[in-house]
Amino acid sequence: MAGLEEKTDGAARNGGSNGARTIIVAGQSSQRTHEVLRALSGFENVVWPTTLESALEESSADNAGCLVIADDLQEEAVDEFLQEARGRHRNLPIFVITDPDDMAEAVSAMRHGATAVIEIPPSYAMLCEEVTRATR
Amino acid sequence: MKDSPQTVIVVDDDDAVRNSLRLLLKSAGIHAEVAESAREYLGRFDANQGGCLLLDVRMPGMSGLELQQELNMRGATIPVIFITGNGDIPMAVEAMQHGAFDFLQKPFRDQDLLDRVQRALARDTENRTRLRHTDRIRERLASLSPREREVLELVTQGKANKMVASDLGVSQRTVEIHRAHVMQKMEASSLAELVRMMMTVAPP
Repeated sequence: MAGLEEKTDGAARNGGSNGARTIIVAGQSSQRTHEVLRALSGFENVVWPTTLESALEESSADNAGCLVIADDLQEEAVDEFLQEARGRHRNLPIFVITDPDDMAEAVSAMRHGATAVIEIPPSYAMLCEEVTRATR
Repeated sequence: MKDSPQTVIVVDDDDAVRNSLRLLLKSAGIHAEVAESAREYLGRFDANQGGCLLLDVRMPGMSGLELQQELNMRGATIPVIFITGNGDIPMAVEAMQHGAFDFLQKPFRDQDLLDRVQRALARDTENRTRLRHTDRIRERLASLSPREREVLELVTQGKANKMVASDLGVSQRTVEIHRAHVMQKMEASSLAELVRMMMTVAPP
C-alpha cells in the first residue's frame, strides 16, 4: 500500500509514534478502503489493523483520535461492529463511509452509534474535515 | 403526573399524506392526530402527551428539522420519525445527530412504517418510565436535610461511618442516625441501591 509501512503485527501504519492522535481505519482490503486510506494519507498515525479485534484495541489507546469504518467488514456486519465499538468507547468519534444515496444504511449506522456517515464519492473533503476535527 | 394515552401526531403540509397516514395508523389500532404545520403542532405541544411524531422534513415556514430543534430546546422527549420524499444522507445524518428516532424515505411499505411507529411508542414508554423514576428520586433527595445530604454524598463515595464522622466533625453515633434517616427517606434497602439512585440522577 503506497505511503503506508507494515507494522510487525501485520497492520499498516502511516507515520510514526509522534504524539499525533491515531486514526483507525476498519474495512476489508477493497478499492474503497484503499481510497479512504489514500484520502487520509496526509494525516499522521493512520492505522489499518488486520482484524476487527485489533481495531477495537487500537481504539482503546489513550491517543485514539477516531475510528473510520471504510467498507464492509469480512468478519461481522458493520452495525454489530459499530455497536461493539460504541459500547467500548463511548466518546470516540466513529465515522462510517457509505455508498451514495444509501439512506437505509446511513440511518442504521447512526442508530448504532456512528458519529457521522459520509458518502463516498464525492465527500473525501468532508471525511478529512471530520477527521481533522476529531483528532484536533 | 399521569401521562395521556399514547398518540401519534402526523405533521405534514400535504393534506393527502396526513389523511392516508392517519387512516393507516387507525387501521392498526393506533390513535393518531394531524397537524398541517410545525407551528400548529407547537401551538398545542404538550410535554405530558405520550406517543411519537411523524414529521415531514420539508414544509413551508418552519421545516421538520427546525421543529425538531425547537422541541429539543423545550426538553421534549417524544420520539421523532422523519418522513421525506427527497431527502439526502447529510439531512438524515443531521436529523439523527439531533436525536431523531428514525428517518424514513418515501416510498415505504406500510408495514415498515407501522413497525417503526410501534418501536417509537415502546421507546416513548421507556423514556417516560425512566423520567418518572428519576423524578421520584429527585423528590426524595429534596426531602433530605443539608446534613443528611452531606452524609449521603460521603457514604455513596464508599466512606465508612467512622470516616464520615471525622470528615463532618461529628460523632459516629450521629452519623449512624443521619444515615438511617437517609435510607428511610430515600426508600433504599441497601447502600448499593442508594448508589444506584445517585448514579441515576447524577451519572458519572
